Amino acid sequence: MFLHAFHHVAPFQIKCYYIYIIIGYSRMSTSDKGGMRATLCFRDEPEHLRQQPRDHTVVQSMLDKSVFALPGIKRVLGVLCAFAACQALCVIGEAWSLARAIANLWYGGALGDQLAWIALFFACFIGKQGVAYAQDGFMDRYAYERADALRSELLHKVFTSKARLVQENGTGSVTAAVLEGVDQVETYFRLILPKMCALLVIPIILLVVAFPLDWVSALIMLIAFPFIILYMAILGRTAKEKASKQHRTFQIMSNHFIDTLRGIDTLKLFGASKGYGTTIFEVSERFRIATMKTLGVATLSSFVLDLFSTLSIAAVAFMLGMRLLDGTLVLFPALAILVLAPEYFRPIRNFASDYHASLDGKNALSSIRSLIDSPDGTPSETPISPWSDESRLTLEGVGFAYADQPTLDRISFTASGLKKYGIVGASGAGKSTLISLLGGFCAPNEGSVSIDGTALPDLGQSDWQKQVIYIPQDPYIFHASLRDNIAFYHPSACAEDIVRAVEIVGLDSLVDELPNGLETIIGEGARPLSGGQAQRIALARAFLDSSRRILLFDEPTAHLDIETEMELKEKMLPLMEGRLVFFATHRLHWMHDMDEVIVMDRGRIAGQGALADLSASNESFAALAALTEWSEVR
Amino acid sequence: MSSWKTTVKADRWVKPFFKQYRRALVLALVLGLATFVFAGALMFTSGYLISRAAEMPGNILMIHLPVIFVRVFGIGKPIFQYFERLTSHDWVLRMTSGLRLKLYEALEGDAIAFKRSRRTGDILGLLAEDIGHIQNLYLRTVFPTIVAWLLYFAIVIGLGFFSVWFALAMLLVLGVVVFLAPLVSALVNGARNAKRKAMKNELYSELTDNVLGVSDWIFSHRGDEYLARYKATERAMRNIDASTERFSRRRDLLTSAVFALVAVMLLVWSANMFGGAHGGAANWIAAFVLGFFPLIDAFTPLPAAATEASSYRDSIERLGELPASARTEGDAVEPEAPLDIAIDGLTFRYPGTNRRVLDDLTLHIAHGERLAILGKSGSGKSTLASLIRGDLEPVAGAVTLGGVATTRFGDSMARYIGVIQQQTYLFNRTLRENLQIGNPRATDDEIREVLGKVGLADMVAQLPEGLDTLVDEAGMRFSGGERHRVALARVLLQDVPIIILDEPTVGLDPATERALLETFFETTRDKTLVMITHHLQGTSMMDRVVFIEDGKLELSGSPADLEQTSARYQRLLAFDRGTAIPV
Repeated sequence: MFLHAFHHVAPFQIKCYYIYIIIGYSRMSTSDKGGMRATLCFRDEPEHLRQQPRDHTVVQSMLDKSVFALPGIKRVLGVLCAFAACQALCVIGEAWSLARAIANLWYGGALGDQLAWIALFFACFIGKQGVAYAQDGFMDRYAYERADALRSELLHKVFTSKARLVQENGTGSVTAAVLEGVDQVETYFRLILPKMCALLVIPIILLVVAFPLDWVSALIMLIAFPFIILYMAILGRTAKEKASKQHRTFQIMSNHFIDTLRGIDTLKLFGASKGYGTTIFEVSERFRIATMKTLGVATLSSFVLDLFSTLSIAAVAFMLGMRLLDGTLVLFPALAILVLAPEYFRPIRNFASDYHASLDGKNALSSIRSLIDSPDGTPSETPISPWSDESRLTLEGVGFAYADQPTLDRISFTASGLKKYGIVGASGAGKSTLISLLGGFCAPNEGSVSIDGTALPDLGQSDWQKQVIYIPQDPYIFHASLRDNIAFYHPSACAEDIVRAVEIVGLDSLVDELPNGLETIIGEGARPLSGGQAQRIALARAFLDSSRRILLFDEPTAHLDIETEMELKEKMLPLMEGRLVFFATHRLHWMHDMDEVIVMDRGRIAGQGALADLSASNESFAALAALTEWSEVR
Repeated sequence: MSSWKTTVKADRWVKPFFKQYRRALVLALVLGLATFVFAGALMFTSGYLISRAAEMPGNILMIHLPVIFVRVFGIGKPIFQYFERLTSHDWVLRMTSGLRLKLYEALEGDAIAFKRSRRTGDILGLLAEDIGHIQNLYLRTVFPTIVAWLLYFAIVIGLGFFSVWFALAMLLVLGVVVFLAPLVSALVNGARNAKRKAMKNELYSELTDNVLGVSDWIFSHRGDEYLARYKATERAMRNIDASTERFSRRRDLLTSAVFALVAVMLLVWSANMFGGAHGGAANWIAAFVLGFFPLIDAFTPLPAAATEASSYRDSIERLGELPASARTEGDAVEPEAPLDIAIDGLTFRYPGTNRRVLDDLTLHIAHGERLAILGKSGSGKSTLASLIRGDLEPVAGAVTLGGVATTRFGDSMARYIGVIQQQTYLFNRTLRENLQIGNPRATDDEIREVLGKVGLADMVAQLPEGLDTLVDEAGMRFSGGERHRVALARVLLQDVPIIILDEPTVGLDPATERALLETFFETTRDKTLVMITHHLQGTSMMDRVVFIEDGKLELSGSPADLEQTSARYQRLLAFDRGTAIPV
């Protein structure tokens, strides 16, 4: 469920929401392993509505293909069925011995003579739980192993492959898959598989025993079973229809409260906050009434299940009574049947109570599988020699299209040697896409890329990327010490180098300010840094790793105040010397320091050349330059 | 456990609601109890019925009464259960409405400062979720536990009619599963849970942190290092899980032994009480023994429920930390025209910190003036805006509007000052509702007029349902510039003499920014305009520009003057225009 919630949210939005997600999800993860067995669960939207059987019936849903693809699953299912059979035998022993003891006492037997039966009953009753004990332990281990394997595979894919899972699915979706998703899968294996096996095995064995005891009762039990499943499926569907009809209203109403809380300062600014208390209460009450209406239908399915099983027991008791009355039956089999009947219906009740966990688990499993199985980026690696004064990078007719993202429209240019290229253009012109392409974060849909005459499918080549330093608008600062953050790309850097890097990028005042200097933990949840400080850390990373000769900047100063930008510029310019630089920005003053300027306009290159030439003759450039002139507006 | 006691004692969020809607609550509990009583009674009468029938009384009328009872209990049990679910959910939802109102009122008084003081994390979303957790506490722990207790006492009292000693024995033995097992579970697994939860939260923030920085891990080819670290934490958590599970399994085995013991005790007791002859009183043996089995289901969830309760604790505590209901009614203030803003010797620091965000700052803003406040991030610009609006209290000095201290205005400040924030919050409601926050009585014509002014008329005309379009509808999203235009429209509808722009153009590209600033300036011609900004875009349109640095006023003058006289301003201007390279 959670996994899907983020699919249609664009990745850049997710960044804004991730804090909420961290805390939001960690809060949701509270239900402890024991608690998952509780049958009732309630959030804003009734659980019954969210997780009614969809197009599956209970029976269909048991036969989930992805489960059978698991390694060792056949053996596990076999073992589980054996456990279930043992439990069934214990139930039979329990019913048999109890019925014997009661019947004997009823016939006037002495209590002392029943000790063996009582002992057997006691043993079987505990034995049933003992089997459950062994089974739970077994499944706990297996489920963890499978979940762990799944998690390792997924993490491996996320952190070491070029599949760009995070960029395409969003941070929230990936972390949710690793933490919530895998847990749901684990619960699915741990709880659902045994219950599935119990549902398949126990009723059959009990029926086999019940028939010789009293075929009429057994027949009643047999007939009730498919009816229960059928009615649950029908009612489930009705409830689902009703729920989906109201779904929109439900969502709006259930989000109303959190929406109001998040905007509470806005309301306050408009002096509108006082009156909203009543609105909140009224909407909440409307929500309650609507929920109760739907819940009335939704809980019907469990009502029917309940009604069928108790009525079956009542019917069995009645039929037994009738036939005892006319002497066609004696007390012992009747009692045994009466003890067996509730146990016969127990597996399906257990299964139904965890049905939502099984749906969540199944959805999570298929989401995770699709993440793991997504294509792996570039398989072919082409050797690329280190960038030098003589190197040439040529893009020819390169195009890139991505749903609702800025596109590149057959652009061609050549970059050579250790020059600095400024990239300017209005937003949406394709600056960032071009930088992404140059960093190898995305592959062109058409056209060709070549370095020194060697054609490449894209720039996601290891030999290229290990020469690149990429500095975005908001460089990511890890929750780690300042030292680890600076040395991220060069963990073996010596202390002197780090100190020098700190000085060169002007981080020394920050180091002085921090309680533990370089060892202070910074980043999210610790000491937050300003945008300027984050940029300085990114620069220090670049400085430390002198083997990386290609610098890609994507609007590095867009968020900074003008004085910080000025200070940073002084630090940045020397670092650019002796490197190939691509610098995308809105801020035209940087262009004075570039060797060449590339002007982008709606996905095309509208001009390329020295600043002086462009500012004299290029229309697109002139339009950009006019935006910084304010004097005539007044 | 003792800390639990303090939590429970200090709790203002769970207990009070027991007193509300008491009839629904009692009904839910009675129905819950009746469900189990009927389930037990069904087996009880069934056991009696077949025993009686086995005597072959020869006439069906002799078993007529038990047959009727079997039917009644068989039908009654699921019906009670059905209504129990509905009533308990209904009660919990009623309570939720109350809780929401209570939470809202607790936050409302001090909303702006509250949000400002908790910069990281979505504390408000968290609190809203806490209410969801309290719902779970009721449905999954409180109700089942109370019902089980009621049933327990009903059993003991019921048996007391037959034999006081046997009832006392039951009191003890069943007490083990009703009180002892949940208590021990809560103690043992509750502590483990708390530890696990802390680890999981840590894992969460760590994973999110590293997933956000994933491109750096891949780019640096260091991904495997992180994976090893992650796995170590994960293993440690697994160890806790494994011991939790082991404990639960053992506990379940022991409780099932207790249930077996109870069944045997019932058998032995009823054999002694009713047995000895063929049939007759012996009919009751089957009834008493079989009647017990359905009751087991009432007791088994108790230990897990008690364990789970511990995970709701921090929700209750977090809610408990909120102010009771900090309603600050503003005085009936009458500021005098002209509405000048006077800031005199203003000093401010946030509670619990030493740094003076603002330090002896003096600034007068005449009515109708357009003032740009420039400064680096963290220089105290936004704090100054909050002080002007009266949301924060000065440590020293005074801020007055029309001669009245701004802190005295309370909610009536909304009649004088409108604010456009860096992030415009749009409620997930219709566009009309979002705009009417500015003025609830605004007519559609007024709204359309304002939308035209802020340049959104065309855009709104294209919306599928016009003003009735939900602002967050899938596929339709307002861009940053458009959001700010909506914010402006809202403030224009509010019709206030003073507008504060709190860095409204951060993150917008120059073209959008310029168009937006032009709209801001055009539509607010006759108003006082205070623009907080961190760069020079638009400052040339202002009457006066001031710089704030380290909480002090550094530079002040008209843009034209500053351009002539201030070397610093000249340098920034030159840098911004790219006409000169700063040294």
